[in-house]
Amino acid sequence: MQIDQKKIDEAVSTIIGYGGTHILDCVGCGACSAVCPGVKAGFDVLCRKLIRKIVTGHLEEIIEETSSWGCQACNRCTEVCPQGVRPQEVVFAFRRYQANELAFSTSSITSQMNLFETGHAVFTDPKANRKKVGLPEEPPTSAYNEQAQKEIQTLMNNSSMGELGLF
Amino acid sequence: MEQIGLYLGCNIPLKHPDIEQSFRKILPELGVEPLDLEGASCCPAWGTAPSFDLQTWCAISSRNITIAEQKGVDIMTGCNSCFGILSEAKHFLEDKEMKKKVNESLSAINRTYQGTSDIYHIAQYLHSKVGVDAIKSKIKYSLDGLKMATQTGCHTLWPSDVYKIAEQNPYEPTILKDLCMATGAEVPHYSRLAACCGMGGMRSTDIEKSLKLFKEKLISIKEETDPDMIVTTCSSCFMQFDMSQLILRERGEIDFEPIPTFYYTQVLALAMGFDPSQVAAISQIDRSKIIAEMQSEQRLVKEVA
Amino acid sequence: MAKIGVYVCHCGSNIGGVIDVSDVREYAEGLPDVALARQDLFMCSDSGQELIKQDIRDGKVDRVVVAACTPRTHEPIFRGACEKGGLNKFLFEMANIRDQASWVHGQDPEGATAKAKKVVSSAVGKARNLEPLEEKYVDVTDAAMVIGGGIGGITAALELARMGHKTYLVEKDPSIGGRMAQLDKTFPTNDCSACILTPMMVEAYSHPNIETLCYSEVEDVEGYIGNFKVKIRQKQSYVNWDKCTGCGACAEKCPGKAPDEFNEGLSMRRAAFIMFPQAVPKKAVIDMNACINCAGRTIGSEPKVNAKTGNPILAPCEKACPAEAINRSLMLDPNGTIKEIEVGSIITATGYKVMGKENFKEMAPDSPNVITALQLERLISATGPTGGKLLRPSDHEKPHTLTFVSCMGSRDKNFHTYCSRFCCMYMIKQARLLKEKYPDLVINMHFIDIRTAGKDYDEYYTGARDMGINFFKGKVGGLDMLAGDKLRVNAYDMENGETIEYESDLVILASAVEMSDGTTELAQKMGLQFCGSKFFRELHPKLGPVETAVSGLFLAGCCQGPKDIPDTVSQAKGAAAVAAVPLAQGKVKIDPTISEVVTEKCSGCGICEPLCPYGAITMKKVDGKPRAMIAISSCKGCGVCTSACPSSAIQLHGYMEEQILEQIAALTA
Repeated sequence: MQIDQKKIDEAVSTIIGYGGTHILDCVGCGACSAVCPGVKAGFDVLCRKLIRKIVTGHLEEIIEETSSWGCQACNRCTEVCPQGVRPQEVVFAFRRYQANELAFSTSSITSQMNLFETGHAVFTDPKANRKKVGLPEEPPTSAYNEQAQKEIQTLMNNSSMGELGLF
Repeated sequence: MEQIGLYLGCNIPLKHPDIEQSFRKILPELGVEPLDLEGASCCPAWGTAPSFDLQTWCAISSRNITIAEQKGVDIMTGCNSCFGILSEAKHFLEDKEMKKKVNESLSAINRTYQGTSDIYHIAQYLHSKVGVDAIKSKIKYSLDGLKMATQTGCHTLWPSDVYKIAEQNPYEPTILKDLCMATGAEVPHYSRLAACCGMGGMRSTDIEKSLKLFKEKLISIKEETDPDMIVTTCSSCFMQFDMSQLILRERGEIDFEPIPTFYYTQVLALAMGFDPSQVAAISQIDRSKIIAEMQSEQRLVKEVA
Repeated sequence: MAKIGVYVCHCGSNIGGVIDVSDVREYAEGLPDVALARQDLFMCSDSGQELIKQDIRDGKVDRVVVAACTPRTHEPIFRGACEKGGLNKFLFEMANIRDQASWVHGQDPEGATAKAKKVVSSAVGKARNLEPLEEKYVDVTDAAMVIGGGIGGITAALELARMGHKTYLVEKDPSIGGRMAQLDKTFPTNDCSACILTPMMVEAYSHPNIETLCYSEVEDVEGYIGNFKVKIRQKQSYVNWDKCTGCGACAEKCPGKAPDEFNEGLSMRRAAFIMFPQAVPKKAVIDMNACINCAGRTIGSEPKVNAKTGNPILAPCEKACPAEAINRSLMLDPNGTIKEIEVGSIITATGYKVMGKENFKEMAPDSPNVITALQLERLISATGPTGGKLLRPSDHEKPHTLTFVSCMGSRDKNFHTYCSRFCCMYMIKQARLLKEKYPDLVINMHFIDIRTAGKDYDEYYTGARDMGINFFKGKVGGLDMLAGDKLRVNAYDMENGETIEYESDLVILASAVEMSDGTTELAQKMGLQFCGSKFFRELHPKLGPVETAVSGLFLAGCCQGPKDIPDTVSQAKGAAAVAAVPLAQGKVKIDPTISEVVTEKCSGCGICEPLCPYGAITMKKVDGKPRAMIAISSCKGCGVCTSACPSSAIQLHGYMEEQILEQIAALTA
C-alpha cells in the first residue's frame, strides 16, 4: 500500500465536508464494528474499515462499494464509540460522496422520484386498504396535498440534490 | 384532553392503515387528542435526502416539524425511522449555522423553523405521558397468560444523546416490555432482544444478508421464549417479521410456523376491545386465531366503569 | 537613576528561529534607563550568566532584565547569577519572549518580534521600579504526616521514619495495606502480594518513629510548610483497641451483615469484623450501619437483666470477646475522637478506586458473571470468598471460557480520556495465573492495543501468548445475557476485519482507575488542586512530579495519576526524600514576594480577612482600632487582598502598584 498524503488529505476533507466531522478522532478500537449489524451481516466496509479506508486516502477506490447502503442508520456505533467519532455520520458522509458522484443503485432513484412527486419515498395506492379499515381513503399527508407537494419540490429543486437531475 | 401532532410517515398510512387506525382508536380513550399534521411528507427516509445532503435532510425534516409548531403541539410518530430522522435533524438544527441555512431554504416556502416542538415516539408517549396505570385501567380483555416477544427497534434506542426520552439502558430496553405487561401478558427476556431485525437499507441492498441477520434474531426468540406473538413498536420491524418469516418458512430454513406479529398499539386496541377488522386487518401471517384468543370471552375483565 | 541591563536570549532556535534577536536588543538599548543590552545564544549557559555577573561587578548595571523563556524554570538561575554578581536578586525581571512570542506566533516572525519588543519594554518598565527584598526564615516542626496507608503511604512513611523523622501514617480503613492487600499476585514476577506487603505493613506499624492512625481521617489542616496543624478524626470503632487481640470471636458471633468491601462486595462480612486475615493492626470494628443491636444493646444502654439468673443480658459480640474489649454500656461518641498533631510536611497517598460495572450499560451489568478485574483478584485470592478457587458468582461452578475486556471507561470520552496504565499488565497477569492453574480454561483477551511499557513487562506479555492465551485486537462492543447465566460476547477482530461472537462463562472488565472517594473534601481542606483527569495536580508534570502548588504538600502514588506498584513505590520514595528536605533543614525560607499591610492606610474594614485563601490575615487592635495584619509565613503572595483593599493599604512586594502601572504603560504605548 502506498501512503499518499495528498490523497489522504483530499479523502478526509471530502468526508468532513459531507458531514463526517469527527473522522480524525478515530483511534481504530473497532467497537463500532463489533456492534454494527451491517458488518455482522457481511457489509464489511462500514464503521472501522470504512474509516480506515478514508484516513489512508483510499476514497476513490471504494466509490462503488455497496456496504454503505447496507447501513441501517441504527447508530449503535455512535453509542459505543469511545472517541465521539459518530461513525454513522462518516458512513452517511461517504454515501453523500457516492450519491453526488452518482455512484449508487438505480433502484434508489425511484425513491427520490417518489419523494419529489408525492412527498413520500415509499408510495403505494392506499385507498382500498384505508377504506377497508374504516379510514378516509386519502391520508392527511402530502400524498394528496398539492400545496405540500409544491413546497417539497421547491425545497428539493433549490438543494444540491436538485442539481443531480434525478427528478 | 392533551393534544399531540400525529406524524404518520409513509408505511403506516399507505401500507398499514390498520396501525394508523389503532392509534386513532386508542388515543382518545387514553385522554389524548391526535391532531393531523396536514401536508406532512416523508421524514425524509435514510435512503433519500440524508444520503445526498445533510442540509436538504434538515430542510425537509424541519418543514414537517413546522407544521406541528404552527399548531403549537409536540410531534408523536409510530415509525421508528421517522422518529430517528426527525430527532437527529432537530439535533443538527441545534447548530446555529445549520438553523440559519435551513431557515433560508424554508423562506422560499414561507416557513420558519423555531425548534419549539419536541419529538416523541408513540411508545415513549404512552409510557411516560399516558402511563402504564392508565393503560391498565382501559384493558377490556386481559392478555394474562399470553407470551410476547418484544422488538423495540433501533431508532428509539441509539444514539441516546439525541432523543428527548431515552431508555435507562438502551441495551436492555424496558419501555415496550412495560407496555406489553400492562395488558397482562408475560414478556420473557431473550438474548438478542436489542439486535437489529435486518429491515431498512440492508434489506433493499441485499435481501440475503438481511434474512441472515433476521433469522438469527428469530431463532433466538423462538428457542429462548417460544412466544404466542411478537410485538413491536417499529413499523419497519413489523414488516420484516410479517414478510420474512414466511420466506424462511417457504425455503425450509425454519421448522416452525411463523409467529404472529403485531404493532403494539394493535395489541392494545384489541385488548381494549376494538374491532380487529379495523385495527389489525392487514398482515401476511394469518393472525385470526391469536386475535380470536385475545378477544375470547373468558378474557373479559369485569366491565370497565 | 536605574542602570538596567537587558540580556536577550536566542534559546538556540526556540526564540532565534522566529524572532530577530538583534532587532530586539537594539530596541532595548533605546529604552529609558537601559544602560546596556546584550544578546547570547544561551543566556542560561555559564558564559551567558557570566555576562550578567561581570556587568554587575563592573558597576555597569544595577537592575537586570533577561528576555528569554519562562520564569517558572529559569528565574532561579538568573536570580542566582545576580546574587553571585553582588546584586540583590529581587532586582531582576524576566521577559518571557519564548512562550509569549516565538512559540505562539511561530508563523509570524515580524509580529513575534514586535511583540517581543513590547514584552521587553514592559519588563524594563517594571525593573526600573524594583526594590531590593530580603528573604526570611521560620523554624520547622520535625515531623511528617502521610495520608493513606496503601503501598505508597507505607513506603513513604517508612523512608521518612528511617531518616529519623517522626511520621504519622493516617489510614481511613481499620487496617493499613490498601489496594495491594486485596491483590493475589503481582506482575511481572508473580510474587504473592501479601507475602511482600505484610512485612512492610508490620515494619511500618512497629517502627518507633511511625505512629499509625487507622480508622482515621484528616478533619482539618491549617498552617504552612514547616508548621502544619492537623486535626485527625479517629472514627468510632466501638471496640477498645487497647484490649482487642484480633481473635475474631466477635465477628464469629455477630449476626449483622453487610457486603464485604475488602472482597469487593462478592461476599458478606459481619457488622463486627476484622478487615482481612493479615490486617495490621489486627483489630475489630463494629459497623453501626449493619449492627442490629442484639438484645436491645444500643450503644450506651443499660443491659436488661435475666430474671432467673440476675445476670445482665449482653449482645453476642460483647459476650464473645475474651478480652472484654467490647462494652456496649459505655456512651461512646459516634463521631469518634479528634487528635491534633503538628507536622512540617505532608504526603498525600490516597490511592484509587475502580469504576463499577454499572457504568457500562452495554456490558450486561445485571449479570452476576460480569465482574471487575479487582473482583476477579478477590476471586482468585486464597483469602477471598472462594478460598482462591475460580468459581463463577452465579452458580459457584467452574467457568470454562473467560473473557477479558480492556479499556472500560479509560481512553473513552464518555468517561475518562486517560489510559489507566496498569490494566493491560494486570489482565495479562490474571490470565497467566489462571491458565497456569487451570490449563483447560479458554481465555480470550480483547484489547484496543496492549500497553506493556515497563521493565520486563513486554516479555511477560509475550510469555502469555506462549501459554496459549488468545489475544484479539479490537474493543468488545457489548454482551448479551443468555440462559444459564452465560454471556454472548460481541466483539471485532481488527486483524481479520470480522465480527467475533461466542459464549463466555465469566467476563472480566478492566474498569478505569479513578480518584478515591472523599478526595474532593480533602483537597478543599489542604488547598490541593485537581488536574483535568481529576487526579491531584503536581507542581510540574516533568520536573515536579511529587510536589504541589502548596509548599510542604507532596504526592505519592495513584492520587497523582494511575500507576502500578513499582512506579508507586518509586514515587513514594521520591516524595519522602522531598518531604524530608524542610525537616532536615530545620528552617524554611519565606519568599519575600508577599503582601504587607501599610497600617497607617488601613481603615480596619476587614474586607480582606475572609478573602485570604490561606487564612493569613487577622484583625488586630492597633491604638485601640482594628487593623489587618498578615502572617508572613502563611501568605503565599496571591494578591487577592491587595486588589480587594478599598484603601490601597495592602502592597504585594514584587508586584507594587507603580511597577505594574509601568508595565501596563509599556504594553499600551
